[in-house]
Amino acid sequence: MRPLTIKRLLWTCGGLAMLLLACVLLALKLGAVPVSVTDLVVDLGRIAIGRANELPTEYRLIVFDLRLPRILLGILVGAALSVAGASFQALLRNPLADPYVLGVSSGAALGSILALIIAPGFALITPLGAFIGAIATIAGVYFLGRREGQLDSSTLLLGGIISASFFSAIIMFLMTTLTGRDLRGMVFWLMGDLSTPVSAGMQWILTVGVVAGIGAIYSTSADLNLLLTGEREATHLGVDVTRVKLVVYVSASLLTALAVSASGAIGYVGLLVPHAVRLIFGSDYRLLIPASALCGAIAIVLADTLARTIVPPTELPVGAMTAMAGAPVFIYLLRRGLR
Amino acid sequence: MEFNSRPSMFSGLLAIGRLARRPVLVAQALLPVRVSRFSGGGCCTRSFQKRTGKSACATCFFFLLFCGSMLAAQTSTFTDEVGRKVQIPREVNRVVSLAPNLTEIVFALRDGDHLAGDTDYCDFPAEAVRKPHVGGPVNPNLEEIVSLKPDLVLATKSINRRETVDALDRIGVPVYVTDPHSVEEMIASVEHLGSALGAEKEGALLAEDLRARLADLDRRLSGAAPRRVLFVVWTDPLISVGRDTFIADALRRAGGRSVVDTKAEWPHVSLEEIVRLQPQVLVFASAHAGDTQRDIDALRTRPGWENLAAMQHGNVVVISDAINRPAPRMVDAIERLARALHPEVFASRVAPSGAGFSLRGLVLARTKTHRLKPAPPVEEACACAR
Repeated sequence: MRPLTIKRLLWTCGGLAMLLLACVLLALKLGAVPVSVTDLVVDLGRIAIGRANELPTEYRLIVFDLRLPRILLGILVGAALSVAGASFQALLRNPLADPYVLGVSSGAALGSILALIIAPGFALITPLGAFIGAIATIAGVYFLGRREGQLDSSTLLLGGIISASFFSAIIMFLMTTLTGRDLRGMVFWLMGDLSTPVSAGMQWILTVGVVAGIGAIYSTSADLNLLLTGEREATHLGVDVTRVKLVVYVSASLLTALAVSASGAIGYVGLLVPHAVRLIFGSDYRLLIPASALCGAIAIVLADTLARTIVPPTELPVGAMTAMAGAPVFIYLLRRGLR
Repeated sequence: MEFNSRPSMFSGLLAIGRLARRPVLVAQALLPVRVSRFSGGGCCTRSFQKRTGKSACATCFFFLLFCGSMLAAQTSTFTDEVGRKVQIPREVNRVVSLAPNLTEIVFALRDGDHLAGDTDYCDFPAEAVRKPHVGGPVNPNLEEIVSLKPDLVLATKSINRRETVDALDRIGVPVYVTDPHSVEEMIASVEHLGSALGAEKEGALLAEDLRARLADLDRRLSGAAPRRVLFVVWTDPLISVGRDTFIADALRRAGGRSVVDTKAEWPHVSLEEIVRLQPQVLVFASAHAGDTQRDIDALRTRPGWENLAAMQHGNVVVISDAINRPAPRMVDAIERLARALHPEVFASRVAPSGAGFSLRGLVLARTKTHRLKPAPPVEEACACAR
């Protein structure tokens, strides 16, 4: 693979950003009310200059109040999950690591179920409970994974897997015993679902959190490259391994917690996208992180568009689409990479 | 009931204003440090003034629209069955139903033209199948709902998700949520929806008719000892009904008592426990009696099931799946079930007319071995088509 230059970095990211824009336009176009691309561009312009009231009500409600926020949510969630996946793969030096490998999704699910049981009437209770659950799991696994003051990758991985199955068992117990509660939504949520619009406050928290998390991880990308050769080697090369691990661990976990609390556990994106990006663009983390973010966003936007439109008017959970479409693409890339 | 104009519309319009300003806000959130560093804040102030002017214009425009809508569309405030305040137009012509039971109620109250859309699972009456569908009750397509331009969306707490209701609320589509837990509450829902849909009289008449039929049934069954019944919701795993469900209430009104007595709504019960309890009658609900009959035949030879006296004696009743739906047709199913459970009470009498609402797909166990003893009289007259 050619060495990474600023020019190549910018060209790749610029190209991917254009691709993402094209996907967003496509996603805006398709759905219950079809729209032409020219109309879309004109209408987006109108909204940008504050003349949204000139648009017909239903059209505006559907395309700009329902579809657009959903696409933006998909972009944030996709970027967060892919970057978190890429980071965990470096941190744990395990190609099978994904954002949920440390039990974050199960912890988030348990948190939101408990929140629903404690305060069923409160509107934002599911994302809030999910976030608290995810953060608590992350903290718990972190303390499980510490050995002699150091963050030990394999202990961390084991701690994550064990807490994931422990929480899943508790979730099964609660779902079976508390049948009277309003837990139907949980099934969708566990599969990953973007169809539920998030509130405006949540959108801001998500945007700021995802940008900050990706920024923090990107700032360590050069160190991550060295960390991949081994912890001792990285230390010898002057990397503050403890600090890098802590920054990456906290940021990636935060990204996962935000994504899970907004959209449930969308599988495969965090595993497949970083690997696909690695196979196409090489494994330099300075390119891998931004490219993963953009490709993750593209993947989720496309998967959600498919989920919305493949069997109209029924909506599939986006998690089912990412798994269904992701695995064959991944196998193709892997075979191509082997040749 | 108080009347006022349409704040939902107003808040919807304000939301566009917010959306319109969002790009500017984003730019401000990202830029403030740089702007103040390079241009001493002047640029920021100017753009802010421009924005205020624009939003003043917009506010004027919205106010005019608001006044206009005040003259055009009058709404009434209702409190729905989960305690939400809902603004419903006084003239409701386009209803979207998000559950099969609500679809049935809409058809019972008003003619089918008022139903703009329903779900994939709405299969009664036949006209409901031909309506535009908005997806399943749990995951309806919000875009599809909005594109049907509903005056009112109907949801029911036990089937639909809160998230769906909240999302529709947020974009200013009125949603009325019902929450029946008993047959009486189902009838109350019919009355509530009657007033929400502008069919108060029809709702009251239908409710009166349903109550009269249930009272008649109560009177007839007053002397009969209740049958001990296992209501089978699902066989693998075995799921029955808890005591606080409308199905348990329907069983009570039909002269049955569920042997399963638990607070959970849809409990998984162990077959061992059922063998111990030995229900007198097994009740299955199905829209496809033939398939269910085959399933029951298969069950009869299975361990556990074969040890049930009710199974051995063929005391199995297959009832219309109308009993699963809190809608007026449920009363038909209750009457049918009562006849199947207490044939001796009804043996000498004339069948009630089943007035007001129709009956379809309702089949009692036809094969001889499955018939209750003594065999219920054949009452084809009851199965009047709509």
